[in-house]
Amino acid sequence: MRVTQSMVSANSLRNISNSYNKLATLNNQVASGKKITKPSEDPVVAMKGMYYRSNLNQVEQYKRNLSELHLWMDNSEAGIEQATSGLDRVRELLLQGKNDTNSIDERAAISKEIAQIKEDIVNVANTQVNGKYIFHGSDVSNALVTAGSPPQVAGNVTDPAINNYSVEVSQGITMKANINPSTFNQETFNVLQDIEDKMANNDTEGLDELLVRLDNVINSMNSERAELGARSNRLEMVESRIDSQEVMANKVLSDNEDVDMEVAITQLSVQESVHNAALSVGARLIQTSLIDFLR
Amino acid sequence: MTSTFMGLETARRGLVAQQSALYTTGNNIANANTTGYTRQRVDLQQTEGFPSVGTNAPKIPGQMGTGVEAGSVVRVRETFLDTQYRSESSKLGYWENRSNALSDLETIMNEPSDSGLAASMDSFWESLQDLAVDPTNSGARAVVRQRGMSVGETFNYLYNTVSSQKIDAQNEIGVTEKAVNTLLSQLTQVNKQIGSIEPNGYLPNDLYDQRDTILDELSKYAKIKVTYEPSGGNALAQAEGKAVVSLVDDNGNVLGNLVDKNEYNELKLDSNGDNTAIQSISIGNTTIDINNFESTGKLKSVVESYGYVNTNGQVSGIFDDMLAELDNLAFTFATEFNKVHEEGMSPNELKNGNQAISFFADSQSSDGSITVRKGFASRITISEDIKSSLDNIVNSDPTIATLGDSSYVSKLSAIINNNYDYGNNSEQSNFRNYFEGVIGSMAVSAQEATKMHANSSTLQQTVDNKRMSTSSVSLDEEMTNMIQYQQAYNAAARMISITDEMLDTIINGMGVGGR
Repeated sequence: MRVTQSMVSANSLRNISNSYNKLATLNNQVASGKKITKPSEDPVVAMKGMYYRSNLNQVEQYKRNLSELHLWMDNSEAGIEQATSGLDRVRELLLQGKNDTNSIDERAAISKEIAQIKEDIVNVANTQVNGKYIFHGSDVSNALVTAGSPPQVAGNVTDPAINNYSVEVSQGITMKANINPSTFNQETFNVLQDIEDKMANNDTEGLDELLVRLDNVINSMNSERAELGARSNRLEMVESRIDSQEVMANKVLSDNEDVDMEVAITQLSVQESVHNAALSVGARLIQTSLIDFLR
Repeated sequence: MTSTFMGLETARRGLVAQQSALYTTGNNIANANTTGYTRQRVDLQQTEGFPSVGTNAPKIPGQMGTGVEAGSVVRVRETFLDTQYRSESSKLGYWENRSNALSDLETIMNEPSDSGLAASMDSFWESLQDLAVDPTNSGARAVVRQRGMSVGETFNYLYNTVSSQKIDAQNEIGVTEKAVNTLLSQLTQVNKQIGSIEPNGYLPNDLYDQRDTILDELSKYAKIKVTYEPSGGNALAQAEGKAVVSLVDDNGNVLGNLVDKNEYNELKLDSNGDNTAIQSISIGNTTIDINNFESTGKLKSVVESYGYVNTNGQVSGIFDDMLAELDNLAFTFATEFNKVHEEGMSPNELKNGNQAISFFADSQSSDGSITVRKGFASRITISEDIKSSLDNIVNSDPTIATLGDSSYVSKLSAIINNNYDYGNNSEQSNFRNYFEGVIGSMAVSAQEATKMHANSSTLQQTVDNKRMSTSSVSLDEEMTNMIQYQQAYNAAARMISITDEMLDTIINGMGVGGR
């Protein structure tokens, strides 16, 4: 085959530009840390990348949702704890007041203490977290209890519709953040009011019956607390699952589109020497012709 | 008997012929870097031997050579390689333009990234999730409104940018059309010049080169077939004649005549009624429906990027298809989102009773209602109700109707994950998958175009290499030739001296013997 100067120079120019192109691609990869900069370079990586990215965003969001659940559950737990210890104190005082050895004054003092505990439980039932009444189900903007004698509980506490302040913890799966709104029901405050009144009036009739009612109230509160504890456990499990999901999602995303630095840098230096060789050979080839040797 | 001065004449012929060969070599060297230049060579041929046949021919033993003459100056070129080169050239023209258009589109869509449409939808979904866990938080509501706006604006931005690419493609259509017609007119000019020179027995090598360069250029735009018609008169056998160029499809069927012997037919791309797409191509009086225009080349690719009326009467094209997909995404998502949003109860509705409040709106319709799919991605915005009050964003189920109920926010956030008929073709998919599909198919087309661009460019270079191997100037070869012709020239001159000495012997030295 006949080879001419213009062929040689066109070929070496093309080869140099090809190898420079490869250098640029590798440089891009190393600088950006990504395998591709355009979807056409690898459509599969690009499509998977979009999917994994959304997936990671979702997992991160669900993780953020969990903090709201923690907030509600921890505060509910603290509230029930406080209310239960109040009710326990009332039970003690009731047992104490039942004794006929008590004077009118002593019973009046008991009544005053119970009145304070009642106020306290009203305050607990109206606990606000971030401006929301957390013991009123999803009806967070209205107070659960109105102070009075006896304090009045909102009429909708037994409505199952509001017993569901739920938070999404993964796609389509929700967790209830609130405790049953009827935990603090009218009966709670009626019992407290009745005990307070009987003590104030030094009336010992029917105290046994009140004790039974009080025990029922305490029991139902305890069982709600147990339920909340179980739910907290579930929350922790969900949390650890989401944590590991996040790690997985990050790993998959990175495996898919992050460049393998060792490989990329090795290729870069190989390509660099190829490029140097192409340059020096090209430069030598196109310099000489027969003219240089003719006298 | 030969004449006394025959030796002088033979040597003179040698001088003249070697000189013309030497000048042609000089011309080759001078044009070593000229685009489209084909190396030339002088056809040296022997002159008729002496004596010639005849009754009065001198009876001498044998026929003697009388020297050399320069027959003609011809180009060293293979037309078969030209045909091959042009066929690769049209493929290269097509794929080069197509890969550029798709690469522009990829840059605009900017996926996968942390700032494209997918990312903007993700952050809208996140804001809905934040509102769902805390529906009374007006900060979360404000974020939902802003992110909703940003989804709308992302759609608007993408639609408008792709549309402006389409306008650029429209300009390119005009430029391409003009470029083709300029080439056709140049070709006709060159044809005319060739037609007036050839009958005089000359080979207009420079014009042939010019014509081949124009044909190479023309072949980028579409597949062409070139035939030659003799220009008559005393044209030499090597004369190429006038080029007749026809536009052919990929199977070689003639679609129309671009250049005849004496004139050319103007090529025109005809738009449809509302000037949004190309409907047909006309060459002179011949009109070709764009769907029958199966001639690979840049022309076809610019039409495909800009848009054409397909067999169903719909406008199709690289940019138009993407615009339609953006409309599909925006329209379906906004419609489904509004459906849920209208059912639910917002804080304002909890006070004033349930009204159908929509979240997204069409900025061009009088009441904001979303009814027209085409171009909706450029018009999607959030509704006036949402703009006027954050408390118009729904949260509650109408049957529960409390401020703290977030079941409808969850429903809204689930829309992005639910399956709908996005493409209006009875196929169900969710927003992310559908969008991934759109980006994926764009990426695959772009990848194909990039690969084919690289392939056709390699093939064209291979053919070009072969062509250069035949036709381009090799300086080493020209230097060798130069020395060869120079030495022959010197030798011929020496021959004259020798003949002169011989004549000196007979003229001045003869008949003086014995003096």
